[in-house]
Amino acid sequence: MATAPEKLAALRHLLAKRFPTVPRTAGRRLRTGIPAVDETTGGLPLSAITEVVCAAPSCGGKLFFAQLLAATRAARLRVAWVDSTDGFDPCSHPADELAHLIWVRCNGTAQALQATDLFARDANLGLVLLDLRHAPQSELSKIPGPQWYRLQRAVEPTDLALVVQTPRPSVPSAQVRLILDRSFSLRALDDERPALGAQLVATLNRQRLAAAG
Amino acid sequence: MFAVLHLASFPLQAVLRHEPGAAGQPAALFDNARKKSVVLAVNATAAASGVEIGMTAPQAVARCAKLLIRTPQAALEAEARAAVLAVGFTLSPLIEDTAPGVCTADLRGSPPEKHRLLVTAALAQLHALGFTATAGIAPTPLLALYAARAVSVDATRTKNENEKRFEHSVRFVTDPSSFLAPLPLATADPSPRLAEVLAGWGLRTLGDVTALSCEAFVRRFGAEGLAFWQRAAGGELRPLHPATLPQHFAAEMKFEHEVESLEPLLFILQRFLDRLSLELQAAQFVAAEIDLTLRLENDHPYARRFRLPEPTARTEILFRALHTHLESVRTDATIVAIRLELIPTRPAVRQQGIFDSGLRDPHGFSETLARAAALVGSDRIGTPQLEDTHRPDAVKLVAPPATVASAVTTPVHAPLAPPLHRFRPRLPAQLEIADGRLTYLWTETVRGEIADRSTAYPKNGDWWEPARAWSREEIDVELTHGGIYLLVREGNRWFLEGEYD
Repeated sequence: MATAPEKLAALRHLLAKRFPTVPRTAGRRLRTGIPAVDETTGGLPLSAITEVVCAAPSCGGKLFFAQLLAATRAARLRVAWVDSTDGFDPCSHPADELAHLIWVRCNGTAQALQATDLFARDANLGLVLLDLRHAPQSELSKIPGPQWYRLQRAVEPTDLALVVQTPRPSVPSAQVRLILDRSFSLRALDDERPALGAQLVATLNRQRLAAAG
Repeated sequence: MFAVLHLASFPLQAVLRHEPGAAGQPAALFDNARKKSVVLAVNATAAASGVEIGMTAPQAVARCAKLLIRTPQAALEAEARAAVLAVGFTLSPLIEDTAPGVCTADLRGSPPEKHRLLVTAALAQLHALGFTATAGIAPTPLLALYAARAVSVDATRTKNENEKRFEHSVRFVTDPSSFLAPLPLATADPSPRLAEVLAGWGLRTLGDVTALSCEAFVRRFGAEGLAFWQRAAGGELRPLHPATLPQHFAAEMKFEHEVESLEPLLFILQRFLDRLSLELQAAQFVAAEIDLTLRLENDHPYARRFRLPEPTARTEILFRALHTHLESVRTDATIVAIRLELIPTRPAVRQQGIFDSGLRDPHGFSETLARAAALVGSDRIGTPQLEDTHRPDAVKLVAPPATVASAVTTPVHAPLAPPLHRFRPRLPAQLEIADGRLTYLWTETVRGEIADRSTAYPKNGDWWEPARAWSREEIDVELTHGGIYLLVREGNRWFLEGEYD
């Protein structure tokens, strides 16, 4: 008698055979401007989910997003920042780097996921940032797995990158998972942001390769 | 050539098209003005069951137990008439509102080989608007009307049919005399007296009448005879009374039964938009704004005007905008009437610059924002704009711009420090101080030994306005287990305002 994983593999094989598809934007990436990321993964995969795990306090999660804001501003791509705990601080960013941003101030994880589901389907956006970095663990653990796969399905036909920031690995459908686990020291407050971006250490924890287009 | 769009039992169709689920059901329109109500009009399904004009309600229901009984509604007839005219304008700019349910169009401006195609498309549009119609194309308006009436309507027609099926609902008259010859006398609408005399003569068809000489007919029947003979011959080429394009694009309806749910409201709005959109296109306008008014049972109207992200006359986009909005509307009472108005504007003709970064799908973007606003609240979504002050967290949200402008050149001074993750609301903090030094930090969620700290930065502002004046002292602290935080002192109270991340 076949076990559950075998059955799942057989089902996947059957589906892949019957409905052969190739990701439309397989291999296309969004450059982040962060050397540690661009050199290891080539940038964030488009039409896919990237998970950024912030495993330590002040490890550069918001700096990572700030670099993405700067990169997308230069490319004039629209960005949605879905903020589950209403923690985004616009005053930490130059005014011009906010011109392409839509800030969605959510009240809880469930609402943030619903909002992300809406924005992930919008053809006008180049990047969607879902900030669950400070979401309570009780809410994160309640997110059903299929919801992440639903989000993955939502972004697959689009040209956008969806980046989810979490305190611990939580997104099973992420194509790339990066882990930030080195805290900045107080001296970092005197450094310029591009220099800090160059210091970011992101460990590549997972990279699923998409079929070549 | 002229085309006539003909809608049999028009007052009944006008009522039924506003009722979801009434399509295909046997229905009859009853006169509600007299003491004894009789059938005024029947649809094809009811006629097939044996219901006839002039029957009383018990007689009609005896023939067809499932008969839908309706009464005339002047407002719905006016709405339906406007819808038929809107479709008529797709055939020609010169059309005539000949009678209720009869629209005549002068096709002489369009290529003859396209006449059938145009009329078939118009019938498909009428079908989409909830009508069953037939059409005739002929050299005179009257002949075209005869041709339209001569087409039998298939009562079992469903919405899944394609346009080709409507070709069977069009009668093209190329040889008037052979078309008219077999038609019964009633086609030319003789007076009862005339009909009786002609029947006595053994005349049964229009061909029998036109076989007689016109002069002899006039000598016997006078002016009435001349008019009838001309009608029997297919009428004359007459100028149409041109219908004018609407100047206002509005529709309204009072509900017979109060509306409590969204579905019937959307059904009616779809009907309105189908018509208004056609009218806009005929007048070469697009809608810039939508004005929606719901009259409630408690006499408190709900009114909302919203501007479209990009002017359009496309029904599906206008409907989506209304649907998205109404999904989040909760009224205190049931809805008794609805009014919809589209504010027209001329379509903008412009070419985007090669380096412009506009929206790919402005309506889709607007809809996404509306849905997200309905989810989180309209004051909690937008593009952040920094206010011209040093007050902490001074930011406002504005609507996202239609185009993303080029980035300004690299600033002379790059921003310092990692961005702050702001705790909203900020966390009240307790501090342990030993030998005048901060040593330990407690808050609800963050606590730990303080390893390092910055100099205290006093800040204040708006001191010239006592009500708005603020003053504080900011200290950045690093905890031994990691983490840099912004600590704020206001008077004797401490707060943890955020984490540098």
